[in-house]
Amino acid sequence: MPAAPKFLSKIAIIILVIPPLLLPACSNDAVPTSPQVESYTIADSTGDWGFPSPYASYSRGPGYVRMSFVFETLVWKNAAAFVPQLACKWSYNSDDNSYTFELQQNVKWQDGTDFTADDVVFTYNYTKAHPYQWVDNSIVKSAQALDRYTVKLCLGKPYAPFLQNVAGVQPILPKHIWGNVIAPEEFLTPDAVIGTGPYILADYSKARGTYLYKTNDNYYLGKPAVDEIKFVKIAAEMTPAALKKGIVDSAAIPAEVVDDIKAAGFIVISEPPSWNGKLSINFKKEPLSSKKFRQALAYAIDRDALARIVFRGNAVSGSPGMMPSTSLWYNPDTPQYEYDPAKAQELIEGLGYTLQSEYFTKDGQPLKLSLIAAADYKDVGQFIARQLEQVGIDIDFQTLEAKTVDARVGAWDFDLSIYGHGGIFDPSILYRMILGDSFNSARYSQDAELTRLLNAQLSEMNASKRKDMVFRIQELYAEDLPALTLYYPKSHWAHDGSIPLYYTMDGVAVGVPIPLNRMSFVQEK
Amino acid sequence: MHISLKKEIKQSQSGKAGIIILLVMIAAAVFAPLLSRYDPMQQSTAPLLAPSFTHWLGTNQVGQDIWSQLLYGARTSLMVGFGVGVLSLIPSILFGVSSALIGGIYDKIVMRIADAFIVIPMIMVAILVAAYIRPDLFVLVLLLAALSWQGGARMIRAQALSLKEMGHISAARTFGAGLFYIARKHIVPDLGPILLVEFIYGVKRAVFIEAGLAFLGIGDPMLVSWGTMMRDAMKFSYLNVWVWWLVPAGVALSTTIIGLTFISHAAESVLDPRLRGEVVA
Repeated sequence: MPAAPKFLSKIAIIILVIPPLLLPACSNDAVPTSPQVESYTIADSTGDWGFPSPYASYSRGPGYVRMSFVFETLVWKNAAAFVPQLACKWSYNSDDNSYTFELQQNVKWQDGTDFTADDVVFTYNYTKAHPYQWVDNSIVKSAQALDRYTVKLCLGKPYAPFLQNVAGVQPILPKHIWGNVIAPEEFLTPDAVIGTGPYILADYSKARGTYLYKTNDNYYLGKPAVDEIKFVKIAAEMTPAALKKGIVDSAAIPAEVVDDIKAAGFIVISEPPSWNGKLSINFKKEPLSSKKFRQALAYAIDRDALARIVFRGNAVSGSPGMMPSTSLWYNPDTPQYEYDPAKAQELIEGLGYTLQSEYFTKDGQPLKLSLIAAADYKDVGQFIARQLEQVGIDIDFQTLEAKTVDARVGAWDFDLSIYGHGGIFDPSILYRMILGDSFNSARYSQDAELTRLLNAQLSEMNASKRKDMVFRIQELYAEDLPALTLYYPKSHWAHDGSIPLYYTMDGVAVGVPIPLNRMSFVQEK
Repeated sequence: MHISLKKEIKQSQSGKAGIIILLVMIAAAVFAPLLSRYDPMQQSTAPLLAPSFTHWLGTNQVGQDIWSQLLYGARTSLMVGFGVGVLSLIPSILFGVSSALIGGIYDKIVMRIADAFIVIPMIMVAILVAAYIRPDLFVLVLLLAALSWQGGARMIRAQALSLKEMGHISAARTFGAGLFYIARKHIVPDLGPILLVEFIYGVKRAVFIEAGLAFLGIGDPMLVSWGTMMRDAMKFSYLNVWVWWLVPAGVALSTTIIGLTFISHAAESVLDPRLRGEVVA
């Protein structure tokens, strides 16, 4: 790998070295001063992503983004690097495996109370008792306030993606408010949305799927650039027209209208593959518990054709190792399972099935599997169902409401499901989406070597060694196939240019591929 | 019945138009494989094509031939429609006639159950149940039939009560005919026009609801349906493809419902002379 040294040094520099060096004196990442925008409206086809408190927002990227306008983390990211947020400096101490954060000293909560190290310590202790959906804080052994504005977080073991997965994701909670909250998911009063962020939640309507934010005039990192930010629910097909008519200022747009929208004077930004569209497989059930059978499924599905046909070329064919070929962590030797229906049938026959007329049978029982997906995945589902039917598997395809699919997959009440998640940037996503407990994880721990490597790569602070582990993980994951990556859709976002939107390095926080970084909405002081 | 149902519909211009429309739709459904060379579910690498000699109505977002989908959509609509029409008529006759003939407590219980079903909006129940159980074609027919019998039962009961008092039925009773015999020999045969009207109503409702459920995305995703076509076309409305995608599906659905309405209106005029356009001398 001739490019390896350069790549490794880049990773190491970004994670460990550059951020502290760049931060001589609690600088900020606000955008250059520009004319104040009175109102900025963002369209969203779903609308409701939950009450925007850390615990009540829905555990999907847009839910985190809405919460992030109010609550902040110790560190944050811009388009290229980690930047200060509530902490203006930080350093890793390898001697005792800890991070020390120097906090900003002029920060107030939105109710006027001072922000101090006690709030940070409280947050990390609180999340031990009340796990936060986006962060596994078990890695933090202890949190300690060294003085009013210095915090030390001691880790249980070395953890390479600490900034990416913990310090840059965990919203800090006000101790004076959350100290008495026993059921954080049910804490829905106005106090539950008091953060340190640049915007204050002024209104939220679950029924209409709307959010209204007003400026926090006491914001410490700069002046909020917009007087009010609105998230409104607008059907995806109406978005291009809504942009052109000036009803909204910013929205995701379909690929077919990119040229048209650009011609209308909008700026369109596009992102490299970061969203994993996958086939979830219930490997706890026969015959899906057989690795050979899962491999047969991979051979039976033409992923190139799926990207070409269903997405009209606006997607990249999925790699069974999960990481896309554009990633610096991609292993080119990952088994690819090129489309080969004959091979798929051969593997299924090897498991004792006999092809009779249309479908395989075994012990007189036809080989029948259910496939569930949200209605948005209808076309992908039809494609998969027909391809699996063509090799002799009887597929019962149903479209369900998205949250029902979440619940059924979470309860293992399915055979196959079409699913997806963002955040395929840092390889820690491999850990979360293979071993994690959430419904969109494969929850696969049957391969001892894979499990060991997934854990080990998180602790490996040597970038070269970590990369070797990540490469091996992709090979093992692709061989075991507890889930099959089908495609990486290309996404496009249009905006009127009044706010300089950008895609955050490795996604917002833990990897949300939405170009709505709150710091885009803050001007330099 | 001294008014001929067949003659009445034939004499009605709208009745004739309705029958022609329905026959065209039935022909499209039956001969769909002959009228199009494409599998309506076959996806291809030629999406969002405009109409051409190859694809008469162009292709949809995943390269499926829209003309084929339109033809096979007729098949789905009419299968659901006629299935529900027939199946809902059976409980309507059973409960309507038995209520009229048995009377008493039985009549009261059956009619109150029918009233309860009438009060609940059928479309809402259908949406809720379909969203929960995600029915395939057969289950959808059963579901809609189970929700469609009550109005017909009331009408049939009213007509049966009237027939029950007629002389030939009293005579049959005098000669010892049982209730089942009277229902089979004298009541049901004389219910002809009402049964036709109820049948057509049932078909019309089912066609509409099937398309509605598919439009809402709670139909069978592996089934071609005019409702699904409209739903998909709406998603691409920003591309102005509605002319050859949304409109044909909408027109097909509307035309089918209009045709059925014409037929039922003509049939109703048999029951209600006021609905006839001209006075028969």
